[in-house]
Amino acid sequence: MSDAGRQWPMAMLGPIARARALGASIPSAAWAERILDVPYERVWQWLADLESSVPRFDSQVRKLRVIDRRADEGAELLRIAATTFGVAIPFAVRLEDGFCLMQARARLYLVVMAAEPHDGGDRTRFFHLEAVPLPGTRLLRGHLQRAVDADVANVARLAAQGF
Amino acid sequence: MDALVRELMPYVGRVCGAIALDRGDDAMQETFIAVLRNLRSLREPAALHGWVRRIAVREAIRAARGGREDPVDPALLVSTPVAPVDVATVVDVRSTLSSLAPEQRAILVLRDVDGLSEAETAQLLGVAQGTVKSRLHRARSQFARRFEP
Repeated sequence: MSDAGRQWPMAMLGPIARARALGASIPSAAWAERILDVPYERVWQWLADLESSVPRFDSQVRKLRVIDRRADEGAELLRIAATTFGVAIPFAVRLEDGFCLMQARARLYLVVMAAEPHDGGDRTRFFHLEAVPLPGTRLLRGHLQRAVDADVANVARLAAQGF
Repeated sequence: MDALVRELMPYVGRVCGAIALDRGDDAMQETFIAVLRNLRSLREPAALHGWVRRIAVREAIRAARGGREDPVDPALLVSTPVAPVDVATVVDVRSTLSSLAPEQRAILVLRDVDGLSEAETAQLLGVAQGTVKSRLHRARSQFARRFEP
């Protein structure tokens, strides 16, 4: 590419647009979005501490433990175990600024959290998605939607309380 | 799928940014939705890049047409004497691109950034080769001769 070519305007795929694109391709995907009256930095700092945040807003996760963590070109790659109904389920996690993708082993379950500054950064747009990325799982969407709605409501409530 | 998105992001961002300008982000999201939804229809993995290019150009032109930009004055498309353009800043490049029609921006991207031939560009955009040639000439004239190697 020429030098001039490198200066052409670049479009950006923000964390929430990226999460939406992923969700749009999975029939069972359910998602919800909420504006939080808390600055983005504070929200993401809290959310990114998965061991602390996830069990507080997701009633189905009793405990979350980070097993391994390593850096990867602007992201952190984690291996975690999320305890649900007494079973510790391993997830591979990609954690970036404003974007967190959690994928259960064998790609049986997908969770995405994304956040972006809103209103100049004083508020935060929060997006949460859950999906079963397997064929024939479209009917699970209603169940997943209820779970996602509850999670997002919990995050909003915790944000209003200052986490 | 997210790994594919990350790999394609810079390329799609360049195509959508240059063609759709202020609506580039929307075009980029629509491109990835179309790519991920239809990935299974792609039988030849080697054709991925060309397939994504086609989708990105289509979505970018669509977004640009639906945008708030004023219609391009036809006189602009044929005028050759233009003020010298300082390509040192993105703003100048953006400003110059915005005076072109979306289809002309697409031709510039495909020919001068992507390096496609006239025939390939014509096929992708569904226009005659001669149309690509004349539109590119007008676009380059308008965009400034500094884009020429």
